[in-house]
Parts: sequence; structure tokens; C-alpha cells
Amino acid sequence: MIKRLIPLLLVISLFFILLKVATNVAPNYDLTGVAKTYAEQGASDLGAMNLVTAIVVTYRGLDTLGEVTVLFMAGTGIALLLRRKKKKNDSGIKNRAASEILKTGSKLLVPIITMFGAYIFINGHLSPGGGFQGGAAIASAVMLMFLADSSFKINHKVFVLIESFSGIFYVLIGVLGLVILGADNFLDNRILPLGTFGTILSAGTIPLIYTLVGLKVGTELASILDNMKGELE
Amino acid sequence: MNITTIVHITGFALILIGFWGMLTQKNMIKIILGLAIVETGVQLVMVAFGFIDGRTAPILDSAVELSKASSLIVDPVPQALVLTAIVIGVAVNALMLTFVIRLYQQKKSLSINDYKDLKW
Amino acid sequence: MVNPIYIIAILLGLGFLLPSINKAGIKVTVTIFFLGIIAVTAISYQWLSAFLIDGQQAVQIFTAGFKPPMSINLQMGLNEAVLITLINFGALLGAIYSFKYFAENGIQALVVFLLFILGMNGLVLTRDIFNIFVFLEITSIATYILIGMDLRLKSLSAGFKYMIAGGIASVFLLLGIILIYSKTGTLNLDGMIAAVSAAGSSQILFVGVFILIFSVVIELKVFPANGWALDVYEGSDTGISAMISATSATALLFVLYKVLPLASIDLTKMIVIIGVLTFVVSNLFAIMQKSTNRLLGYSSIGQIGLLVFVIASKDILGDNFEKIFFGLLISHFLAKAGLFWLSGIVKAEKIQDWVKIKKHPILIFMFGTFILALMGFPPFPSLAAKWSLVMILAENGSFLWISLVILASILEVLYLFRWFGYILKLEDSEEKVEKPQHQLHPVYIVTLLLYVAGFYITRSFDAGLSINFIPLAFVGILFLIDFLPVYIKNTLVMIAVSYYGYILVPGLDTLKLIFALIFLVGGILTFIPGYSVKGKRIGFYPVAAMMYVGLIGLIEAETFFQFFFAWEIMTAGSYFLILRGKRSMSHALSYILFSAGGAYLILFGFALSGAETGSILLTSLSEVHIYATMVFILLALGFMTKTASIGLHIWLPGAHAEAESDVSPMVSAVLLKAGVFGLIILFIAMRNNDVSNLFYILGWVGAITALLGNLIASFQEDAKKLLAYSSIAQLGYILFALAIMTNVGWLAAIWYSITHFLYKALLFLAVGAIVLKLKTHKMYEMGGLIKKMPMSFISVLIGIIALSGVPPLAGFGGKWLLYNAFILKGWYFQGAIIAFSGVVAFLYLFKLIYSIFLGPIKDKHRKMTEVSVWYLIPQYLIIATLMVLSSKPRMILEKVGLYFKEILPENTVVWNGDAASTFVNGKLFGVWDPFYIMIIVCVMFAVLLGFLLFASRKATKVEMFNIVYSAERPESPQTAHFSYNMFSHYRKALGFLVLPLVTNFWNFITDLFHSSSDFFRKFYNGNAQVYIMHIIGFVVFFYFILNGGIF
Repeated sequence: MIKRLIPLLLVISLFFILLKVATNVAPNYDLTGVAKTYAEQGASDLGAMNLVTAIVVTYRGLDTLGEVTVLFMAGTGIALLLRRKKKKNDSGIKNRAASEILKTGSKLLVPIITMFGAYIFINGHLSPGGGFQGGAAIASAVMLMFLADSSFKINHKVFVLIESFSGIFYVLIGVLGLVILGADNFLDNRILPLGTFGTILSAGTIPLIYTLVGLKVGTELASILDNMKGELE
Repeated sequence: MNITTIVHITGFALILIGFWGMLTQKNMIKIILGLAIVETGVQLVMVAFGFIDGRTAPILDSAVELSKASSLIVDPVPQALVLTAIVIGVAVNALMLTFVIRLYQQKKSLSINDYKDLKW
Repeated sequence: MVNPIYIIAILLGLGFLLPSINKAGIKVTVTIFFLGIIAVTAISYQWLSAFLIDGQQAVQIFTAGFKPPMSINLQMGLNEAVLITLINFGALLGAIYSFKYFAENGIQALVVFLLFILGMNGLVLTRDIFNIFVFLEITSIATYILIGMDLRLKSLSAGFKYMIAGGIASVFLLLGIILIYSKTGTLNLDGMIAAVSAAGSSQILFVGVFILIFSVVIELKVFPANGWALDVYEGSDTGISAMISATSATALLFVLYKVLPLASIDLTKMIVIIGVLTFVVSNLFAIMQKSTNRLLGYSSIGQIGLLVFVIASKDILGDNFEKIFFGLLISHFLAKAGLFWLSGIVKAEKIQDWVKIKKHPILIFMFGTFILALMGFPPFPSLAAKWSLVMILAENGSFLWISLVILASILEVLYLFRWFGYILKLEDSEEKVEKPQHQLHPVYIVTLLLYVAGFYITRSFDAGLSINFIPLAFVGILFLIDFLPVYIKNTLVMIAVSYYGYILVPGLDTLKLIFALIFLVGGILTFIPGYSVKGKRIGFYPVAAMMYVGLIGLIEAETFFQFFFAWEIMTAGSYFLILRGKRSMSHALSYILFSAGGAYLILFGFALSGAETGSILLTSLSEVHIYATMVFILLALGFMTKTASIGLHIWLPGAHAEAESDVSPMVSAVLLKAGVFGLIILFIAMRNNDVSNLFYILGWVGAITALLGNLIASFQEDAKKLLAYSSIAQLGYILFALAIMTNVGWLAAIWYSITHFLYKALLFLAVGAIVLKLKTHKMYEMGGLIKKMPMSFISVLIGIIALSGVPPLAGFGGKWLLYNAFILKGWYFQGAIIAFSGVVAFLYLFKLIYSIFLGPIKDKHRKMTEVSVWYLIPQYLIIATLMVLSSKPRMILEKVGLYFKEILPENTVVWNGDAASTFVNGKLFGVWDPFYIMIIVCVMFAVLLGFLLFASRKATKVEMFNIVYSAERPESPQTAHFSYNMFSHYRKALGFLVLPLVTNFWNFITDLFHSSSDFFRKFYNGNAQVYIMHIIGFVVFFYFILNGGIF
């Protein structure tokens, strides 16, 4: 009991801190500050229907680039930490084969999920969704394949290439803003025409960036899964 | 009680539950889960701060008239931030689990009490 | 200017690229890796030089083509440019040090390191709060991976603890960000700061700002939420620890700097407290630490704590903030990176194992550089920064903070110099140090940079450019030419000292001239024996020169800063000199502890004075009134640590006795006078400041010091210890004489200073040479050496006559002046003690000459010959000087009397021919004619000697033979020696006076610190879950304090 006392005291103390916040939260009635500016100017500035996407990809594009970096680094780090000696690669314990339902179902679902993922990131500027969500969906397709077939292996070379080049292109698109528009225009989506509001090919580079992010996130998450599923030594 | 309050309270509750887990569970995976729960709680709180009762998502489709957008939609900023926070949270959690995998391999134990070699 | 965005683009682009060109081979990858880091370093340096040289203004860089708050902006100003240059260059060196280690672990490690650099650059540059979060995560995640990637249990568990702590900090940060955003509607830092200060009181903002600031503070590893950090420092590869301690801590400190304007005054004060607390506690815990990397970890955390304190005190520090911050930061950055790297090269887990670098002077030199830089010795940037910090704190009346900073600094001195002592003094180990070149180069570079930075930063503080760096450069050159043989270096040093004297002396007033001559002539005389040493005597000349540079600097000093700077150089130099002795490890440590403590007291005293008068001149001490008592006590105590007054003396006997034979006279005859010089300056300046009670007390202290010093000296068996205790007593006379504060009293003090310099140098040289020859300090192992070493015998004889104060030699003049002074002053009690201690002095002087030169000679000494001529030359030069001074003291004393006449008009001495006389109410009081005395005594001596020679002309010589008294030998042979425990009967009577009370007191103090350190550091019990509790407890504790209660 005494062992639980300190955690209890600490959590109660935290409770009082949060209580102070909770009792003082006043519900919002109107947009204020920067959010209002986004709502008023976002559409005309960037031509993206989805304001969240506009913020994520362009206004706060540097955050997103950082976010991609974090994920990339986590993938890299996991690969580094879970590296294994090549010889022992095949000596793992045989896994039980997946059930027939899973095998058949996955064959049916994998293409659909992949396509859905692509849809999500391509339409990121028009509807809820975007590169991260789309990438995650694609990775879930890969996961399904892992489940269905224990001997399934992803093609590392291809994955690494996709990861690398989608990342490099993302940075290059950002740098193009500097080159074309000026020193304050890193990651500006307006290096491409904004197009007609509400169509697929609008909002400048946003769909392009989200496609790259989608590919990158999809391959990275898949690689993480691949690294984690393997036997160690 | 409106939706904002409910989400806030849920978020705060998750934060407390998560910390309770981190402070009381000896299993390292559970501690990581505790942290994940705290993160979720914080993310809920973040979204709740951007929410305005009776408004729609910050997507300027046919449901939102462009010129009145600022009086029709909720705050898009916290949503954008949460998106980033989630992704970063996932990355950190994955990495933490990797550390646990490797630690387990060395000592065959998941208990946090068994990893006290460095001290004082 | 290259847009700083390119720093991000280059690092990120290369990070993404490297995995895909894996096939091209490791060489290509590593080349690209380095090109990337070099490119970003070049970009940051380009900005830095633009700011420093071309007067570039700070620029804002927006992204996405929108202005903040809509978009994220970066800021590039001077601060940012300095920091990213430091970080990128540090990372470049770190990459050079570690790239093989990275490559062994896989190409991914290179990628992660690039992104690590990216994160830190982003942290420094960005002005957006959420962007700070993102870059913080990038930096942290990169760090986790770099820590854990070698897959050792240590590094993995340390990494895991770090991740948990980092995870908690980042959820707090997110919560803080969203709370503040909900009230301010912006994420831009500048907008946020403006909005928060405009918002007035808001509970949400209160919690939000608190939790945001605290998340940053947790990342900075402050006490007590830092158990994990120590494990990280200990568990990680040293290359990574170096980066965590240097580069990423730098970036995080700047984050605190950026977000702290959000905080309320109370919250800022809280950070001040946390910073100081961290500095003190880390250094306290460090003193019991044996593991190298953990010790460095404690030290890092302490230094970061100090920097947190500086950042939180920004408003107080005003215009000097940047200089102080960068001065401390750069010292810590370079020195700590260097130490961690060195630790990786030496591969010694325990600090005792570092003894294996004993045979590597370059490694020792670099190690010494680093620890001196950490502690704030000259010429490193931290000295000026700490100086300025204390000065400004004193102006603001923050005495508690000053005291705590000083306490922690002394603890730092304790463990760092103890470590240094281990390296030089423990038994050499057989283990070899492998020196991989690619790992050594970064260490060379940071060493060099420390000196360069020290020069420029010290000058930036030193408004009048008053510090003379040329002598220091000479010391530096001596280090470089240390491979030359002794006779070249010895000659060079002597020429340099003479030349400097030649330049210096003409411009000096009488007082300074006397001390300058003591230091300079002392320097030349004590260097002469150096010719007797063969080989290179590695490390001796630079440090000896350092001590003399410091001493001369004291003479030249006009301002507090110059004085303190010189004082610290002298302290460091003399410490290294003393440490050279064979069994000097613990003595040198206690010497440096007292010296450092004394130096900090002096610093504190100067700061108080400066705070009151606003002046930086030494003479401004006379204008201090409010703090007069405090200033006087602090400075007097500070100087008395050097003059080894009773209570502060325990370092002296060991330090002087165990030093090398020609070092003992340096540190005894010469060095102690620095304290006297300080006291004189202090007394002259503050004589009218209403501190006369304190003079009275000091008079007693001097008298007691004299008595006890002499008594203890009488009970010594070690010849050099005897002389050392005698020095304590002699310095007691000087303190007593000074405290009398009359003209004749000061004449006595000056006369004692000069003559003590002469006869103590003479005695230490003579005895030291004998000790060197006989290879023993113990007097009962000597005896009968008069025929083997007649020249030395004459030296010692003259020396003890001079010291004892019997006519005709100089000591008599000192006594005459002193007795006149205290009788005229009316200090009869103290005077009686002084007179009595003069009698006691005969005991040990007799013992000295009798045990060494008279009595039966030891069997093993039968073939002994005279000592080295290089020791005799200075002895006979001194004897000649003594003779001249003893018969013609007027040529010095009259000038001194005149010089002091304006300051101390009371009780002057009147000269008539060679005779001096004192007057009381116009009536003649005492007369002393040294010249006649000299003649009379010499004639008497000659007559007596002649008679004795005549009378004993028929005496037959008897050879000594070995007498065995009975069939048994005594168990401990020394007890049978006539000089062993010679004055045991006096000891029975007066032994209570020489109980080691003071030693016990100081031992108690050090034990107290050590045991509390050992007890409290158990707080970090290694359990990650307990660390979580620390972190949360830390946050809630300070929250409730700030909140003023639970609700």
C-alpha cells in the first residue's frame, strides 16, 4: 500500500493542476488570432479546400518536414537497433501458417487498401486525409501481407529508394520555393499554379508533397513493421 | 455539459490514468503504454481547445460558404498540431518498444526494477 | 549570405540521400557526410563573421512566403550565429572523433547524426513554439538512437530512461503549447510573448506557461529531475556524451532563453533557484563519484545549472548577460567535450585509473587545460564571466546566490583537482594508452580554441585592456619548448625574469619595489639550483614561470580584475609546482582548496566593494563604508589563506615540506609574500574605514599564529616540516606587525618580509639540498654532517642566526622594530606572546642545526660529500645580501618609513647615521645601531673562535665507532637517536597547545561534505520509475509553491 502512496499523491497533485485548467476553460465562440486569418485567407492564398492540409503542408510546412524527419529517423533508428547478423537470418522458428480466410481475404483486400491509401493522400487538400493517413493505410496493407504470409518479405532496395527519393524531392520542392520565389518562400506551394479551387490538380504543390509524404510514410512504417517482426539473432 | 467539456475531461482523465500507469506498472511495455495514454489524452485536450460548438470541419467544401468561413468552421490549427504530435508520438513509441526488445534480449526481463545497474 | 534554411535543407537532403547510396561504399558515404557538416559549419560561420565584422543586423527568415504568425519564421542574429557556429563546429569535431564508431554501427548512424545536427540548428533558429517542439523531438530522438545503437546493456538502459523522461517532458510541452495557444491565438514566439504580457492574469496561461517552461527545464536536466541524465552520461559512448553535454545542451539552453520571457517574475525567480540548486547539488554529489563518465556527467549538469541560473538572471545581468553567458558556455562547451573525448581515448572507467596517462605530457596538459577552464582559472573565458557574474550579483545584493555559487565552485575544485592529483601521483599502471589520431585531433583543437577564446573573451570583459597577456604567452611558449634540456630552459627563464624586472622596476613606488624585488630576485635565486637537474624536467618550467607571472601581475595590478586574474594565475602555477613533490598529492589538494576558497573570498570582497563604490580600482577600497566590515573580513581571510594564519594554515606544512628541494624556497620564501602584499594593500586602503577592532583581532591572530607555529615546529622530526611551521610563525609575526598599524610596526612587517624571504630561502635551499642528497627528510636519520658538508653548515648557521633574531644579523632588527612597535602601541599581552614565541624558536633552530650537523654521523653517510654547487651559489648570494642588509638596514628602512609616513604617521623611526631610534612623546625610547653591533659581534666572534682554535690545538681526534649497548637492538632504531622527540619534556607541558584541533575541524568539514554527498546521491537509485516520480514530483512541488497552495 505504501508503495502506491507516492504515485497516488503525485497523480492527485497532477489532478489539481489539471483541475485548474478544466475549471477555467471557457468554451470558444469565435475564431481568434491566427486561426481567423487562416479561415479568411487560406482558400485564396493557397487554393486548398482542406484548411488543415493548407496549414500542415504550407503555412507550417517546416513542422511537417520535421515530422517526416522524425518518422524517417525513427525508422532508421529502429533498423539500426534491430539490425541482425546476416547469417542467422533464416534460422528463425517456423511460424504457424496463416488461416485460409486470412490468406484469401488479404489477397482481396491488399490492393483495395493500397488504392484507398493513395486516394487519401492524393485528395489530402480537398477532403479529410493526407500523406500521413494515406501512408499509414498503405502500411496496414503491408502488415496484412505479413500476417497472411509469414515468409513474405518486402523488397528492401525498392523501399529504401522510395523512402530516400520521396524525402529528397520533398526537400527539393521546398528549396525550389527559395530559388523561384525568394528567400522567405521555403516550402511555398505556389511555385506551381494554384489551379481551380476544389479540383485534384489545385493548391500548387500540396498534392505533390502529400503524395511524396504518403509514399514515404507508407514505406517507412512498412519497414518498421518488417524490422519489428523479425527474430533477433 | 457540452461536447468540448466532455472531451476535455476525457482528455484530462486519460492523462491522469496514463501517469498512474507509468508510476505503478513495473512492466516496461506497460509504462510505454502509460505514456501513450498520456499522449492520447493531451491530443484530445488539444483538439478540444480548437472545437467550437455547432461548427463544421475546417474544410471549405460546398457546406461552407467561403466568405463566411471564419464564422462556420472550427479552429484548424490544433488539428494540424495534433496531426504532427500523433506522428511524433508514434515514432517515439515505436523506438521505445525497440529499446525494450533489445533490453529484454539482454536480461530476459521486462521489469523496470531489473535495469538499475547505473545509479548514484 | 547563404539563407540559413539551406542548413536545414542540406542536412535533411543528405540524411535522406545517404541510405540510398549505401552501395557506393562506406568511403563515399562518409565523405558526403563530412561535406554536409562542413557546409553547414561554413554557412553558420559566414553569418557569424558577418555579424562580428561587417556589422550585419539580425534578420528574420520567413517560410512558405507568409509572415508570422501565419507561417513559421527563423531568426538569425548574433546570438544565433554564435550558437550554431559553436554547435556545428562542435558537431564536426564530434563527427571526426566518432565517425568510425558510427560506421561500425551502420550507415544509419551517420544519417541520425546529421539529423541530430539539424535538430539543434532548428532549435536555435526557430521562433515558433510548436516548431521548437518538433526540433526538440528530432534532437531527442536522434540522441536516443545514438545512445542506444551500440546495443550494450548500459547504453540501452540509459537510453530507455532518457526516452521516458523525454516523453514526459514532451507531453508537458505540448500541453503548455496548447494552453497558451488557446489564450493567445498564435504560435509565434514573439507574438506569444507580447500576448502573454498583455493578457493579464489568466489561470490557463498561468498553468500553460508554467508547464511549458518546466518541460524545457526538465530537458535541461536540472536537479532533482535529472537522475536519468546521469545514467545517460555514464552509459553512453563518450563521443555521444560529449555531444549531449556540449552541443545539445547548448541548443536547449537557448530554447530556455527564448521561452523564458513568457514567464512571470515569480516563475523566473523559481528558475533562478533551480539553476543554483542544480549547480550546488551536482557538484556536491560529484565529490564522491569514482566513475569517470558519471563524474563528468555531474560536472556537466552542474555547469548547465549555472547557465540556467545565468539565463534566468538575464534582467539583472543587463548588458553583460551575453558576455557572461557565452563566457561560461564556451568554457563548458569546449572543456567538457574535450574531457569526454579524452575519457574515450584514455578508456579508464574509474578516475584513479587515469594514472595511466602519467607518461603522456600532452594528454596531461590538455586535461589540465580542461579542468582549469571548467573551474574558471585564467586565462579561460569562464574566469572573466564568473568574475563579472559575481560583481553584478553583488550590486544587486544577491549575496546568497554568490555564496552558493562560491560553495559549488569550491566543491568543483575539490573533485577536479583531486582527479588531477590522481593522474600525477598515483602508482603508475602498466596499461598503455592507445592514441588514435582521428580521435586526438578534435581534442587538440578544443584545447587550442579554449586559449583563443580565453584571450578574446577576457579582453571583451576587460574594458581598459589592462590584462597583460605577454607574460602568459611566455608561459605558453615554455610549454611548447618543454622538450628542450633543463639548462636551456633554466637560462631562458632567468633571463626572462631579469628582463621583466628591468622593465618593471623603474616605474614602481617603494612598497611595490620591495615586493617586486622579493618576487624577481627570489625567482632568479630559486631558479639557480635548477641547473643541477639533468634531463628535461618536463612540466617544471612552465608552471614555475606561471607562478612568477602571477606574482608580478599582483605588483602591476591597478584594478580588482587585474589583481584577481594575477592571483589565480599564481595560485594555479604554485599548485602545479607543489604537486610535483613525491608525496604531495593530498597536500597539494588541500593547498589548492584553501587557495581557491581564499580566492573566492577575495572575489566576493572585491564584488562587495565594487557594488558600493562603483569603482574597479584597488584604491577604491578606501571608499567602502556600508560593507566595510564584510569587505575587510572577506579580503583579510582571503589573503590569510595564503599567509597561512592559524586556522587556515593546515595546507602549508605538507605543501612546503613535500615540494621538490628547489620548489620549497619558491613557495615558502617567495609565494607567501603574495598574501602579505595583499594584506598591505588592504590595510593601506581600509585603514580609515572604521575597522580598527578587526585590526586588534588580527593582532591576536598573528600573535597566536607565531606562538603555535614555533611550538609545533619544535616537535617536528622532519627537517622541511620544521622549516614550514617556522614559516607559519614568521608570517604570524608579519600579520601581528601589520595589525599594529603604526609606522614602526609596518617597518617591522616589511623588514620581516624581506629578511624572512632571505633566510627562509637560505634554509630551505640548504636543507633541501641535504635532503635531496640524503634522500630522507627525517632529522633523526641525519647527524654529524658538519665535516662532510661544511658549506651547508655555514649556510644553516647563518640562517638560524638570522631567523632567531640574535645580533648581529637581520632578524635582530626585526625583533627590535617589532618590540618597539607593540610596546609603543600598548599591546603588552600580545607582545608577551610574541616574545615568548621568539624563545620557543630557539628550540627548533637548535634542533635543526644540531641534529643535522652535529653528533655522531650515520654509518651510511660516511662517504657523503658536499651538496651540489648549484644549490650553494644562491645560498652564498643570500648570505652576502644578508650581511649587507644586516649592517646597513637604513638604505631600505628609511625609504620605507618615509613611504608609510603619510599613511601611518604614528611612531616613526628616526635615522642618525646607521642608527635608528624611536621616540615617545618627544623622548628617546629606543636606539639600534646595526653597524656597530655587527662590528662588535664579529670581533667577539673572531676572538672567541681564535681562542677556541688555540685552546684545542692539542686535542686528539677520536674516530667514531659503533657501540652496541647490549645484546639487543632497539625495535624502532630512531627512538635511540638523540634528536628523536627531542623536546618531549616541553611537549608534556605545552602539548595541549599543539593538539591538532584545526586539522580536526577541517577534516570534520570535509567529512561532512563527503558523507552528505554519499548519502544524498543514493537519491538517484537507478530505477527509471523512481526517476519518473522525481520528474513529476519536481513539477508539482514547484507548481504548488508558485500557485501558493493546492488550488
